[in-house]
Amino acid sequence: MTPSEPPHGIDAELIKDCVHCGFCLPTCPTYVLWGEEMDSPRGRIHLMGQHVEGAPLSDAMAGHFDACLGCMACVTACPSGVQYDKLIEQTRAVVEREHPRPPGERAMRALVFALFPHPRRLRALRLPLRLGAPVARRLLPRLRALHPSLAAMVELAPPVPAHRTRLPPRVRAVGPRRATVGLLTGCVQGEFFPGVNAATARVLALEGCEVVIPRRQGCCGALSLHSGREEEAVRFARATVAAFERAGVGTVVVNAAGCGSTMKDYATVLAGDEAWARRAAELRTVDVAEFLAELGPRARRHPLRLDVAYHDACHLAHAQRVRAQPRELLGAIPELRVKEIAEPDICCGSAGTYNLFQPEAAAELGERKATHVLAAQADLLVSANPGCTMQITAALRRTGRKELPIAHTIQVLDASLRALPVSALTGGASL
Amino acid sequence: MPGDTLTLLADRLRGPLGDQWVITDPVRLRTYECDGLTYHRATPGLVVLPETAEQVSAVVRACAEAGVPFVARGAGTGLSGGALPRTDGVLIVMSRMRRILSIDLPNRRAVVEPGVTNLAVTEAVRADGYYYAPDPSSQQVCSIGGNVAENSGGAHCLKYGFTVNHILALEIVSPDGDIMQLDALDPGYDLLGAFIGSEGTLGVATKITVRLTRAPEVVTTVLAAFPGVAAGGKAVSAIIGSGIVPAAIEMMDALAIEAAEAAVACRYPEGAGAVLIVELDGPAAEVAGHFEQVERICREEGAFEIRVADDPAERAAIWKGRKSAFAAVGRISPAYIVQDGVVPRTALPGVLARIAELSAEHGIRVANVFHAGDGNLHPLVLFDDAEPGAGERAEHVSGMILDLCIEHGGSITGEHGVGVDKARYMPKMFTEDDLDTMQLVRCAFDPKGLSNPGKVFPTPRLCGEVPGVRKGVHPLVESGKAEQF
Amino acid sequence: MTGRSPLDTLKATGVPVREAVPEDAVAGVLPSWVAAPGGVGEVAEIMRAASSLGLAVVPSGGRTKAAWGRPPERCDLVVDTRAMDRVLEHEAGDLVVRVQAGVTLDGLAAALAVHGQELALDRPLDGATVGGTLATATAGPRALRYGTARDLLIGITVVLADGTVATSGGKVVKNVAGYDLGKLFTGSYGTLGVIAEAAFRLHPMAAERACVTSAHPVSEDLGPLLRRVTAAQEEVSAVEIDWPDPREPYTLTCLVEGVGAQSRASAVRELLGTRASVGGEPPGEWARLPGETFVLEARVRQDDLYDAMLAVAGTVRVTGVEAAVRGWAAPVSVLRIALRTDDGPAAGDAAGAAFVTALRDMVEPGGRVVVVTAPEEIARRVDRFGHIGALPLMKRVKERFDPDRSLSPGRFVGGI
Repeated sequence: MTPSEPPHGIDAELIKDCVHCGFCLPTCPTYVLWGEEMDSPRGRIHLMGQHVEGAPLSDAMAGHFDACLGCMACVTACPSGVQYDKLIEQTRAVVEREHPRPPGERAMRALVFALFPHPRRLRALRLPLRLGAPVARRLLPRLRALHPSLAAMVELAPPVPAHRTRLPPRVRAVGPRRATVGLLTGCVQGEFFPGVNAATARVLALEGCEVVIPRRQGCCGALSLHSGREEEAVRFARATVAAFERAGVGTVVVNAAGCGSTMKDYATVLAGDEAWARRAAELRTVDVAEFLAELGPRARRHPLRLDVAYHDACHLAHAQRVRAQPRELLGAIPELRVKEIAEPDICCGSAGTYNLFQPEAAAELGERKATHVLAAQADLLVSANPGCTMQITAALRRTGRKELPIAHTIQVLDASLRALPVSALTGGASL
Repeated sequence: MPGDTLTLLADRLRGPLGDQWVITDPVRLRTYECDGLTYHRATPGLVVLPETAEQVSAVVRACAEAGVPFVARGAGTGLSGGALPRTDGVLIVMSRMRRILSIDLPNRRAVVEPGVTNLAVTEAVRADGYYYAPDPSSQQVCSIGGNVAENSGGAHCLKYGFTVNHILALEIVSPDGDIMQLDALDPGYDLLGAFIGSEGTLGVATKITVRLTRAPEVVTTVLAAFPGVAAGGKAVSAIIGSGIVPAAIEMMDALAIEAAEAAVACRYPEGAGAVLIVELDGPAAEVAGHFEQVERICREEGAFEIRVADDPAERAAIWKGRKSAFAAVGRISPAYIVQDGVVPRTALPGVLARIAELSAEHGIRVANVFHAGDGNLHPLVLFDDAEPGAGERAEHVSGMILDLCIEHGGSITGEHGVGVDKARYMPKMFTEDDLDTMQLVRCAFDPKGLSNPGKVFPTPRLCGEVPGVRKGVHPLVESGKAEQF
Repeated sequence: MTGRSPLDTLKATGVPVREAVPEDAVAGVLPSWVAAPGGVGEVAEIMRAASSLGLAVVPSGGRTKAAWGRPPERCDLVVDTRAMDRVLEHEAGDLVVRVQAGVTLDGLAAALAVHGQELALDRPLDGATVGGTLATATAGPRALRYGTARDLLIGITVVLADGTVATSGGKVVKNVAGYDLGKLFTGSYGTLGVIAEAAFRLHPMAAERACVTSAHPVSEDLGPLLRRVTAAQEEVSAVEIDWPDPREPYTLTCLVEGVGAQSRASAVRELLGTRASVGGEPPGEWARLPGETFVLEARVRQDDLYDAMLAVAGTVRVTGVEAAVRGWAAPVSVLRIALRTDDGPAAGDAAGAAFVTALRDMVEPGGRVVVVTAPEEIARRVDRFGHIGALPLMKRVKERFDPDRSLSPGRFVGGI
């Protein structure tokens, strides 16, 4: 390590890339909310610069870093190529290390990180959630006043499916085989939206892919990484790489945007250890929409007479630059119309654990998104990230205007490939 | 002590604005130390974020009463340090005043708050077939209020004019704190015209009535690649000479193209020494006729590849490189100065050649991006800030380019404004009498000189000192030509 | 001390100066002398001399609008700019012209036409100079597309009361260096200084021109027609309303300029209904002032034009005053209303004043009614300019530029 690149600091060279043009401002959700410089990417980079130059990490400073959703819309908007994604990850690690959090906040963080990245613990929570949800919701207003973060958790929890879908370890390709791929099942996706994983496996198989689904796969590390819990993230990343190596696949298909963006960055996450970094680099991660668009359609698309509003998940659109492919896949379904949502670049407020740690801002952003979603006047909202789906569902519920069915891109494609009726998507049933 | 004054001021303003919107934390204050021009920095003494004209008025009145200078700031994208804060003053950040108040299509106007972004106005009326014509390159970020202060132009001002041609009324807070209406309907002095482009030195705009322009029937964008800027420049002259006023004519030289490619992969024709972007808009019949001529002229002047875009996506692809050019230069140079000067269009070829010579003489690379149609140059003077003396050399070359503009009867700024950055060049372009006369306007609006002081004018006199009627013995009297009664 | 006469002092500047004659009167006020400088330097000389003598100065050009505005409180010296009639610079490739203020618009148009270019301003009066046009900000129907004088002016050189010569802007179209004194002086009625030189952006002369003309009964709402025409993508350059008698139908003329004007005009005709016809050049009376001695200007938003017309018709009915109207649609839409009050002086004066008051009541607050020019007996009875939001600021500007009130004192708004 050279002295100019401290192992766990903020890279001053990356800060210098920012020319202060401000092109990031209108894409930043917190700037959109509050209009304050220090709650914009440009302002946060300035704060990072101040810290590098010796300003202590004050509560005020840490607050502005914590308020960042990590949506990476600014990375897309930046003409100078500032690597804000790297900068904020480095900064969050510094905050975690250097900034003492008040006890309540610490407890909440501990709870979240003890729960979400662990599918089995999440599973254990399913029954209490199912039974308790109606009660908890009634208590929401009081909870919100007492503990906004806990209130957010309760509010976000989706209706839990009664039965778990257990996917087989291997799904054979239908027709001549075109590829063999691994499938990441994910924590939240796997436990709260198992239908998405099933649909992914089915569509891939129908398109001629052999799908390998390793049993012993855990969290990819995204939540930890985005919250500055570097060591935890490294542990999860190594385990995930190892799991797919054992399964003998070179390509991993991911259907959760947040997971995909982290896995695509594994080489950096694991850069501390050369051997692991190499292993990570050899594993190709690809978003399911990206993969299918690349593969090209083979299975027959059956019509779905539907207007769908497509929501760009930040970790798909900004972090992975996957915008066109999902629209292409949806647009290729006969009779289906894709409608755009206003302010597509602005985050819905989910942003991993953001809605848990910054509930007020997240709620405001969620309502903003919900308003735009409703204005698109679609029959179905399509979102490719479980976090967004939960967040927008909760926001729609709060606006109280309309219940809008939500599905993942792959579920819509699945319905088309299997010639299901439209009601399979809009019927209100949890998918 | 200014510190105490500011503390008292902060306390006074917390009531009307709310605690949250009066910022005193030093770390937070420092994030406002510069706008888009980072060369000049000053941490504001106090930052406030008002949400209504009444709050702005309260802030300004408090400043006037305490004798504290104030600076209004929009999105902080300015390139002349026009919103550079005062360490002894208040920075009034307008970013929370961002409501579109009304849209009146029959009268083709909209009333917006100053913090609304330029592009947001267009987006609000696009579906109805209208847009807001001035389009600075930073249009998705920059605020209408900032546009009013700077009289912003943009690529399309060749045909459509500048901000001042598209503002119908303003509500302003005068430097005394009074809320006043300036309306194009009113008889009397054109204070609206005087206020726009005054760079925040005459008060703070709090409500802006913009004119909406009907979207043209057809827009055709032509990208022509030339072997070099000389050929491109000749094409520009020939196009204008043929009686066509395109919506925009933009040129980029090889270095600017390289930067844009690196930043946004705009895929301009390989081997181009210069690209010309010509946008034609208007009725289909007219655009078709003009397009034929433009294409022919470009070919005659040596264009080796011509691309034509008729739909928004293709047009956006062509514009992408141009619009990102400034910031993109960061990809090919560690540091750079964005210059903004104007020469008469017919002087372009000579001036460009001279810039190339200056570049060679001083070993400083200069990338050229410019609004060729109206002779507005944006030389990007590149240097490595790690190299000792490079910054000074770049500054020197940059200054010589401005001298060149003045020499050719042009201007030291076409759209970025004078701000703090170019105040020292004003005496090169204007006489002392010119500047003193402008100062009369300033003194009428702001006799205490509290509204964005230190900008536009080099070391302005205090208003009491401005010679209204000349004092002392008049030269004519002295020479015996006249006699004083 | 052997006191020289003021005339001698003025003459000592070397600028031609003569005694005034009745024809030199400004809004009925006779000056003592008239100076005819030949350039900005001479204007400065004469202003310095006048200032040293404490004279009140009124600038004058082609005298086409000498009766406009209030009569000056004092008027010792008229500075006649007509000898300043040179085109200083015209680089055709730059589409820019720089002229002395005494150049007439007609003369300038002829000089530019040789190069296929024009200053896109309408000419309501023959013989008007550039300086006078700027000082009164006279506009015409083509404001819809090209804006008014202030939008085309890119540089100005003025001489202040004390002889200070000041320039702002320049000879390039795009220029934001310093305050734009040009805007301030445009429409200042000679109260801030003498306009000596001006630079304008030019336009190529239209390859083709066509007009669509249609007559409409007063009962037909102009609003929807205007909305259709001004929103048409055929890009109409101007829409003029010609209404010689408010009891009769009005004529709408839409001007289309540029390539394909004829076919575009045909498309515009479709928007106006079957009565419309397509012709070539605009009619001879295009943009002309509808009268000379008693003219009002109603300034309204485009969508309020029809209401303003109804207000005029109603006022004509109520007051019995004869009127002729010509106007245009633009961001600031204008109706110029020429009144004839010829049924006996006293009754006529009262009726004329009543007309102004009644019309203003109906047009304000959305619009404004200004008395452009009126017989003094009528003007005395009314507020010439009506309400102005920023009048206090305007007074402060005047105080700074002309603290001794020696330039056209009292001619403009609020007695500026």
